[in-house]
Amino acid sequence: MLAAASSCYSTPLNSPPKLNLPVPKSMGMNSGVADFSADPGFAERAAKFSIFGSRSFNCRTTQFGPKDNGEIAACRFDPSAANVKLPRVSSSPAIKTLAANSQEESTVSKQHPEPGFKGPNSRKRKAAPKAKTNETSPSPSPNSSKVIKPNEASNEKRCKLSESNENENGSGKAVEEDANGSNTRAPEPPKDYIHVRARRGQATDSHSLAERVRREKISERMKLLQNLVPGCNKVTGKALMLNEIINYVQSLQRQVEFLSMKLATVNTSLDFNVESLMSKDVFQSNNTLQHPIFPVNSSAFLGHQSQQNPPLHGNITNGTMTQCSVDPLDSAICPKLNTHLPQINQFIKTVPQYPTFCEGDLETLVQMGFGQNQSQEMALHSQNFQGSNQVSDMKVEL
Amino acid sequence: MRPCNSLKLEFLKNWIMGLQRWSFSKKEMGILERKKAIKLSADIAMASARNGTTRWSRALIANAYSKHDKHLVSKGASTEYSRRIRSKKILKRSCRRIRRRSKGLVRERTRILKNLIPGGELMNEGSLIEESLDYIVSLRAQVDVMRSLVSASEVDR
Repeated sequence: MLAAASSCYSTPLNSPPKLNLPVPKSMGMNSGVADFSADPGFAERAAKFSIFGSRSFNCRTTQFGPKDNGEIAACRFDPSAANVKLPRVSSSPAIKTLAANSQEESTVSKQHPEPGFKGPNSRKRKAAPKAKTNETSPSPSPNSSKVIKPNEASNEKRCKLSESNENENGSGKAVEEDANGSNTRAPEPPKDYIHVRARRGQATDSHSLAERVRREKISERMKLLQNLVPGCNKVTGKALMLNEIINYVQSLQRQVEFLSMKLATVNTSLDFNVESLMSKDVFQSNNTLQHPIFPVNSSAFLGHQSQQNPPLHGNITNGTMTQCSVDPLDSAICPKLNTHLPQINQFIKTVPQYPTFCEGDLETLVQMGFGQNQSQEMALHSQNFQGSNQVSDMKVEL
Repeated sequence: MRPCNSLKLEFLKNWIMGLQRWSFSKKEMGILERKKAIKLSADIAMASARNGTTRWSRALIANAYSKHDKHLVSKGASTEYSRRIRSKKILKRSCRRIRRRSKGLVRERTRILKNLIPGGELMNEGSLIEESLDYIVSLRAQVDVMRSLVSASEVDR
């Protein structure tokens, strides 16, 4: 634990006057920093520093929160904590990781310290390499500052500070994130401040900083969306990305419409008879997307009772509409069927009759489905592949 | 990236429950009505799978509650949502500048996206993208489940 006097965060002494410093500057930086390297535990603590995520953007971004008396931990944030704060975006695990990693708001433009001067090198940095890669792409800094690589953090200074160093370079201020405004340690979840580093030659008033934060937030989210929307990897630029997103959302909505219409034709009375569904035992698989519509060869599949079969679209009531394999997009969407299907299978299998449903039953059913099918998945997987071979042998009949 | 299974299961569960309610209430329906019912219950099921954590889901439920048959949506959550939406609309209306020119490609597309996503008009740009991210995941899950149901119910024809 660093002594109170030694803080890796120093309040910039010549910060622009209009920024209010809510927390009293507790350390003279230089004096405090000198103790840094001496601190044996510092490296260890610094190693814990993973990500700092930006909380909701609020007007306090331009305020300095001088680190609670030397707690480097102030700039450390648990990725898990970051995850907790973003429940919406972290609906799926992939998004969660992405969101956690890309939530750093501050640009990681590192100001080069004077060569031997490790002490006051205050740079605030994100230790997570992933975060760095995310950072660098959206915000290339005009000056030659480079993102701090994780290996650089091997020296004690993990946390960058915006401080006199920066001010020397004239690069403006960095807004420190204040963990708790007190001497709390690392695992504190990040608080309300967003750390921004103003780059060289850029305006440093609060408005433009806020604007920049906003822009960076948006660009980060665009990156997340790029992973989500198929075919978006090569697209750069906001307008094109937005275009792709719009097209994708529209196509998904249209698919929902179409599918609900189809379901309406198939079921005349809105009672999805689960038992009969189960007995037919055909569920969606990726084969539908890749193959044209095959005639139903039920005899071939009667044997596969509790397995997933490659789906076959039988007599199509609305001939024109049943091109479920409508867009090639879909094959990107649904690569591997099988993981969820056994669970749904199980779920539906165990559902006896509609009127007897109740919430508690469904819960148990779902859980049963989960539990039982984890082990079956692998077995089913292999069987499915055999099934798909069968499908490919079938002729296309339209 | 694939929507996770728990989301799909949650959606399916809610959907089947919603459809049950429909089938009890109305006996005879034309095909378009059925389609609307199916789609509506699917949307509501998808939104409730989010449990009010995302703005689009709240907006969707609130809209469904105000426009369509009320028995599909549980009362408690939806009134709460509509209240929130209403207050947000009032706030927006009072602060908004009236001009509607959509200059620039990005602005216009943002506007289109706002119209696409339920409740999108009330969001600022950053959260719009975040919400659309979640919305896309949910839509995908919805499409997957619906498609499997379709193929399942078609085989026996």
